Amino acid sequence: MASEPRTRRYEMVNVRQGYLVIEQENHTLARRSYFAAERTPPLEEYREGNQFWKPQEAAQTFQFDVRDVETGEVVSFGDLVGLLYYACCAPGSTVRQIGDLAHDQQISLYVAITTEGAEGPAPLPLEKVRVLNALFNERLTRPRKKVLILPDLFGLQRQITYEQIAIDFGLTSME
Amino acid sequence: MKIQELAERLGLRPATKVFDRDVTGVYISDMVSDVIANAKAGDLLVTAQAHANVIAAANLVDTCAVVITQGKALADDVVKMAEKAEIAVFTTALNRWQMATKLYEAGIR
Repeated sequence: MASEPRTRRYEMVNVRQGYLVIEQENHTLARRSYFAAERTPPLEEYREGNQFWKPQEAAQTFQFDVRDVETGEVVSFGDLVGLLYYACCAPGSTVRQIGDLAHDQQISLYVAITTEGAEGPAPLPLEKVRVLNALFNERLTRPRKKVLILPDLFGLQRQITYEQIAIDFGLTSME
Repeated sequence: MKIQELAERLGLRPATKVFDRDVTGVYISDMVSDVIANAKAGDLLVTAQAHANVIAAANLVDTCAVVITQGKALADDVVKMAEKAEIAVFTTALNRWQMATKLYEAGIR
């Protein structure tokens, strides 16, 4: 007997290709990041008040929104840089330890990393995290497998390198 | 078709333990962001990238396995990560186009 197709409540919409640009201020060395939906990443230094910001690195990535197919509501994820898989964190780190515990229960742990403003990153709001968890778990087909996405309550944004996040850093380097 | 049978037919070399699952489709990409956005659970992921984030993306999407093309080798930590996530990884000397044609000839659509 054919099984009925699974209905999903959430779908990824408004997928935008672009670059995650990490820039640094010349004097204070403050760092921040933003998404640029352009064909090539911006490379030129620019002035903002008394500050001079210069792009340091860029990684190909995408942004998306999530639509609730029941209500039609669209939730924007423009502040999401990417997802960090717990196993990409340092052994012994808090996230690695929690991830190992979750793994024992067939749960794969990811942390949602957000863009870094001048005042520092803010964790993704819990309501948005709930939507992300629903979106990705609805796509799974293995019956016991689960994904758990957490907001960055660990201050990982300040500790990790962008290469650890599941985005396309160094894509042109095929080594 | 199961991944074990497909691997034997195409001469894929296992780089990890084989976690046998049904192959329900194929997705070919070298961008982890593209995989996250567009690959489907059960897809066989064919890629030239052999780094840890490929496993992170494959696990998030729940691909049935990963094939690394052009004879690239996996680092030990990537092998461990894939095995822990129960994602079989294979390598092949073929490039992505050659791999795509072999998969089509094997009946994977």
